Amino acid sequence: MDVPETVRTALDDRPVEGAVCLEAGAGVGNTTAGLLEGGASRVYAVTNDTEHASAVRERVVLGEQARTEASDRVATVEADLRATPLPDESVDVVTAHGLFNVVPTAILPEIAAELTRVAAPGAHLVVDDYDPLPDDAAMGDLFAVENAAAELAGEGPALTFYPARMLRRLFEGYGWAFDRERTLLDPVPWTENHVAAHAEVARESAEPLQKGLRESLIARADKIAAETGTESAGRMYSLAFRFGGDGKGEPTGNRQ
Amino acid sequence: METRPLGETGHDSTVMTFGAIALNWLEQEGANQMVEAVLDAGVNHFDVAPTYGDAELKLGPKLRQHREEIFLGCKTGERDYEGARHRLERSLNRLGVDTIDLYQVHGLETQDELDRITSDGGALDAFREARDAGTVEHLGLTSHGDPDLILDAIDRIDDLETVMFPLNPVVVAKDDTEHDYEAVLERANEENIGTLIIKAFARAPWPDTDELPEEDRPYANWYHPVDRPDEIRERFEFAASQDVTSVINPGDPKLVSMVLDAAERFEGMDEAAQRSVVEGARHEDSPVPQQLHH
Repeated sequence: MDVPETVRTALDDRPVEGAVCLEAGAGVGNTTAGLLEGGASRVYAVTNDTEHASAVRERVVLGEQARTEASDRVATVEADLRATPLPDESVDVVTAHGLFNVVPTAILPEIAAELTRVAAPGAHLVVDDYDPLPDDAAMGDLFAVENAAAELAGEGPALTFYPARMLRRLFEGYGWAFDRERTLLDPVPWTENHVAAHAEVARESAEPLQKGLRESLIARADKIAAETGTESAGRMYSLAFRFGGDGKGEPTGNRQ
Repeated sequence: METRPLGETGHDSTVMTFGAIALNWLEQEGANQMVEAVLDAGVNHFDVAPTYGDAELKLGPKLRQHREEIFLGCKTGERDYEGARHRLERSLNRLGVDTIDLYQVHGLETQDELDRITSDGGALDAFREARDAGTVEHLGLTSHGDPDLILDAIDRIDDLETVMFPLNPVVVAKDDTEHDYEAVLERANEENIGTLIIKAFARAPWPDTDELPEEDRPYANWYHPVDRPDEIRERFEFAASQDVTSVINPGDPKLVSMVLDAAERFEGMDEAAQRSVVEGARHEDSPVPQQLHH
């Protein structure tokens, strides 16, 4: 299992060895793979997306790269992150790698509350995401079309890039003590695959719209994708927090 | 141009090494001009081999004119004593020089070859004899084979002073042992062995010859190189920012001036930017456009 450098860098100062972990928003299993590589005793890969759940299963449990020893340590959980089936205070390390950009603002508090509920005293939290793109980034225009199509189709925004300080304040509000921030990617490489995939999402979202609107949004997405090709822009960050309990999570330096 | 110690050789090599294979595709006058351009940029380490067409012959005139400014690496693919001894004599003759600064085992590919070069009557006997005689100064090895084999060679050749191997974002992004040239770099650095990087500019294998016949390829390399100035710069910055001694240009002469420019402007890439390059390369093999995130 190839583990992206972003995931490795986000986890390499966290005590993953022997820990019970929750990957919130499992995607294609990149962070699950990183947690397994780091020696997690158990990884709950939680996603509300059936395709992602099977992708993770395929990759870390059934696939060619899966190792039996590792697949015994992972459980794919198909659930809403606002209400997971995990017990209170049961998780040592919570990760949300590239999750919150697909979470609408209105739902952020419920997910933060749920991740806090399952966290054991002294637990660690890692939140990796993207700062808003600079104004002149073409990818920003593509995401705007993606969001417009999703909003008009009644799906809510497709993507929201929250600044690091905003997600930091959100979790501090739920009792998490900020530990550190790292830059995972600077700039962020948006490859041809990323550009094509996002243009495809915009096209799919626009599909149910009335003809004029649909065609104009699709034409806009196609034009941006064709003109952009690839782009390196923006920053991906990693925030780490500790959760109360044993006092190690207390901020140092600003208390007597 | 920045220089770095080449292991324990006592030589400080420039962060770019000139791969003189590029001269093979030039006429003599063009070859002379290219060597002058490379020296003007400040490059002090050259690398050549007898198997690069007539690159040795074309390098000869300017090498002899500037012999003191050039740390010269050469190689032999011969695995036995007699073959290596003859090949070294031939290279000295073709280059027209008395000494070669670094003589390297060329393109180690199999365990059997490693057994042969290290055995009695193996190629390394000829290398050491030449070193005692003063025609060769230092011993090295090159390989784009299995990283485990290179590690084994480092273990078994006590007087190895340099190793030349591939490193680029595409192989760094892959975690399997088959692509783990980072392990070679780490071991070489532990042993204070100089590290020379090849394939830093490789983008991908060429398409099948059915799709693109060999004679229609736009570059002389046996892989498809990156070929835009910004890509060349990024690849050079990435490779030279690993803990290596020097990075070698791709073989095609059309790419050399872009690499020289990147080497002269080298400033070092921070870790977040290095990860960005690796991340950008991570999906290159994956045609399925379903990856929305990093």
